[in-house]
Amino acid sequence: MGLLAAGIGAGIVAIGAGIGIGMIGKAATESIARQPEASGDIRGAMILTAAFIEGVALLGAVICILLALNIQIG
Amino acid sequence: MIQTLRRLVLLLLFIATNTSQVFSADDAKDEPVIDVVGTLADHDYFKAFGMKLYLPRILFWSDASGASQFGVYASTKSAIKSGDFVDQDHALVPADGGVVTFDMSITSHLIYFWFGMGSVVLLTIVASRRYRKGVGVYVAPKGPWQNIFEILFVFIRDEVARANIDKHKADRYVPYLFTVFMGIASMNLFGLLPWAATATADLTVTGTLALFTFFITQFSGTKDYWGHIFWFPGVPTGVKFLMIFVEVIGLFTKPFALAIRLFANMLSGKIMIIVVLGLIFIFAEAFGAVAGYGVSVISVALTATLYALKAFVALLQAYIFSLLSAVFIGMAAESHHHEGDEDHAMELSH
Repeated sequence: MGLLAAGIGAGIVAIGAGIGIGMIGKAATESIARQPEASGDIRGAMILTAAFIEGVALLGAVICILLALNIQIG
Repeated sequence: MIQTLRRLVLLLLFIATNTSQVFSADDAKDEPVIDVVGTLADHDYFKAFGMKLYLPRILFWSDASGASQFGVYASTKSAIKSGDFVDQDHALVPADGGVVTFDMSITSHLIYFWFGMGSVVLLTIVASRRYRKGVGVYVAPKGPWQNIFEILFVFIRDEVARANIDKHKADRYVPYLFTVFMGIASMNLFGLLPWAATATADLTVTGTLALFTFFITQFSGTKDYWGHIFWFPGVPTGVKFLMIFVEVIGLFTKPFALAIRLFANMLSGKIMIIVVLGLIFIFAEAFGAVAGYGVSVISVALTATLYALKAFVALLQAYIFSLLSAVFIGMAAESHHHEGDEDHAMELSH
């Protein structure tokens, strides 16, 4: 059961993070295309926001790893 | 909710500190094909070029009568040989029935932490000597190392510190941000060596670094910063009390997320490489040696790609850690003197 839950959880985490980072990428490329001279600032903001999403996604991934490895705590 | 959070923190601390002890118990029963966790866990030896150097154990424990004891041993084996400790599921337990209160042992992750920080110190001392002589001040910087140092230092100063922290205060935080960036980057890059351990794939290491950022953020907090936390401006009084809880929790989630992000990134990179390489042995076990050889072609190519990605992520995560540290410090050190500025401007215009 733990393995099944970990697998489903990892999939959902990947979907969520994928949508989030995809939207950032879309917005960033659109705004760079609209205003190429601001590409440096946009890239910085993009990496920063992607890092926040990644942090949440990795938190989910860590829980999935813990589930898969079946770690018990008292 | 809070209990769930606490449990999660406990779990993560548990996996970061105790993995070797927990999983070696399972290994005895049925040996797995690939020991994923064993390669990620902290060890009591330093491994290089196929040699194992056992590291000293420094332990505080309270014996059966409750009195605290202290002991330094050359290795785990000599701690057992001295008769003070017995081996229980690969964990040291005092022989007289006491409990280990504090384990200060030098471990492989700590060694690589020292390597990482040592390389920063070395690089900085060499560079500062050059600058004192005037190389790079009056004439152009000389040699690849000084050029790389200058590129990185100027990058951290301009793009990370000055871009996110109040102009007058930014330079004060450059040494910390540079140390953190270089330290994490070199620890991550040391982790790419095939025999090495990644110190940053350990929650205790990343937690310590995040704790530094936490304390620096709090100590550089201005009146406005604390005002925002304990008496949020511009909302009704009832909401102000609610905001205190939200803001106080926010104080701790920021460094917590910082530690988890770095830890999980480095850990997942390692796990991916081990798993992809492990597929070879899993297939060889399940479908015979030919399948193993067949999979190895794909696995090795994929691992090479992952390795390049890991080298990039190593630098990116160091950048993100220092960038977010700068953003948090910048938010705390910022003083909202907009009204004052406007008054001043009006006075000037009159």
